[in-house]
Amino acid sequence: MPRPTSFGKDTGLQLRMTFTMFLLGLVYVVLIVALLGSGVNGAMVALIAGGLAVFQLFGSDKLALRAMGAREVTPAEAPELHAMIDRLCVQADLPKPKVAVADTRMPNAFALGRSPKSATVCATTGIMELLSPAELEGVMAHELTHVANRDVLVMTLASFFATIAAYIVQFGFLFGGGHGHGDDDDNPSMLVLFLVSIGVYVVSFFLMQALSRYREFSADRGAALITGRPSALASALTRISSGMQRIPQQDLRATQELAAFYIFPPGAGKKLGALFATHPPMEKRIAALSRLEMQLQGTA
Amino acid sequence: MGFLDIVTGKRKMKQPAESRLFAMSTAAVTLDMTLELHTSGKAAIVFQPLATADFSSIVTDMEEVLRGTGEDAGTQVDRTDDSFGYRWMVLSDDEFEDLVVGINVVSQALQDGGYGERILCAVFAFRDAQDKPIYWIYNYKRGTYYPFVPAGGPQNRDSERELRLKAQIGHELPVEAELERWFPLWGIPI
Repeated sequence: MPRPTSFGKDTGLQLRMTFTMFLLGLVYVVLIVALLGSGVNGAMVALIAGGLAVFQLFGSDKLALRAMGAREVTPAEAPELHAMIDRLCVQADLPKPKVAVADTRMPNAFALGRSPKSATVCATTGIMELLSPAELEGVMAHELTHVANRDVLVMTLASFFATIAAYIVQFGFLFGGGHGHGDDDDNPSMLVLFLVSIGVYVVSFFLMQALSRYREFSADRGAALITGRPSALASALTRISSGMQRIPQQDLRATQELAAFYIFPPGAGKKLGALFATHPPMEKRIAALSRLEMQLQGTA
Repeated sequence: MGFLDIVTGKRKMKQPAESRLFAMSTAAVTLDMTLELHTSGKAAIVFQPLATADFSSIVTDMEEVLRGTGEDAGTQVDRTDDSFGYRWMVLSDDEFEDLVVGINVVSQALQDGGYGERILCAVFAFRDAQDKPIYWIYNYKRGTYYPFVPAGGPQNRDSERELRLKAQIGHELPVEAELERWFPLWGIPI
């Protein structure tokens, strides 16, 4: 018997994501060429940025958890959450991540860690109170898909050269200072590098935000696949977003750093230009999820 | 997952691995004879029931088949939904072999309908000499078994006993090699 209903393919999303990464690569090649051409000690810059990236990948989880006021919990402390994640891990064929809970009323959840084996998923007490079990399951499946897709690793690597460009813009004079010949202090290639870096930084910023949005769609889709209940996640998103706007702003700003890996970005209630957003607008995410539900029901 | 899948964030549900469910038929004899673990006469299969017409009709058909064959073999079929929204098809039969066959009927029906990825696991319940429950859980996605021994009290498992069981059963069962995938199942109703 042929499979009657299933989730269709997401070729469009795949193409857009691949194209965005291709553009990012292109922009970075321009930066590298400018870097080599300028005579700046590129190795030194790469070393600093590389060191930071490695630190980010290997050392920042504990810091991030602490910044969020989150704490790893044992199965005895959070039996329901653990049992839910256990089942989702079986369905998603993932090893069990560490489970953490942040004691804050802000309804949110996020995932950390460079690989599935070192991952941590965290839910706030606010989200656990706000959502029904099926909705929470959708949200945790979304976070587990981030883990399975290695989104932290991908985004850290994708931002590697953007970080380099940012350093050059900020501290460029330090690297370029010693290379000027003769009396002329204006090293033309240094100026070119500076301008290129600004360009790279700006362009890659928008590309990275786009990439982050695509990966959100992808995580929503993954969550729908794992749970088989796209509408539960859609309902969770509606509920979280109406909950988010009630939260005072100071709280949100303090947590801006981690925004890319949230289920729902803090401060989403503000009027942000779509280009600047790490997350797609809620309506679009819900529309994508309802398309999945229609595919599942065989009415698409 | 390949490199390209990571780059493009592609998610596909893992389909069940090649079935090694029937390894339990022979292993149960060893469990019974040498380890004094006797079948409790019950086994269950757990899956996510999708809320679609197509899925419901497959489940209804499957239940009918199961009850039909069960009448000949003397297998009783019950179904319950747990608090996580998963469905348990609980089979009761004193003949262990019939339990394995019954579980296979359910999983085969779901797989033939194209919903193999919705199966969470199968559970075989045993009792030791002190009448303590011992479970062997079959993970369909990986095609492996692992032991699960609740130690009494909330969220307590007897890991020592589980590890010993793994050693005792040896190669008779395909035991899950990664210990972090020995996922517990609390509140097993069998």
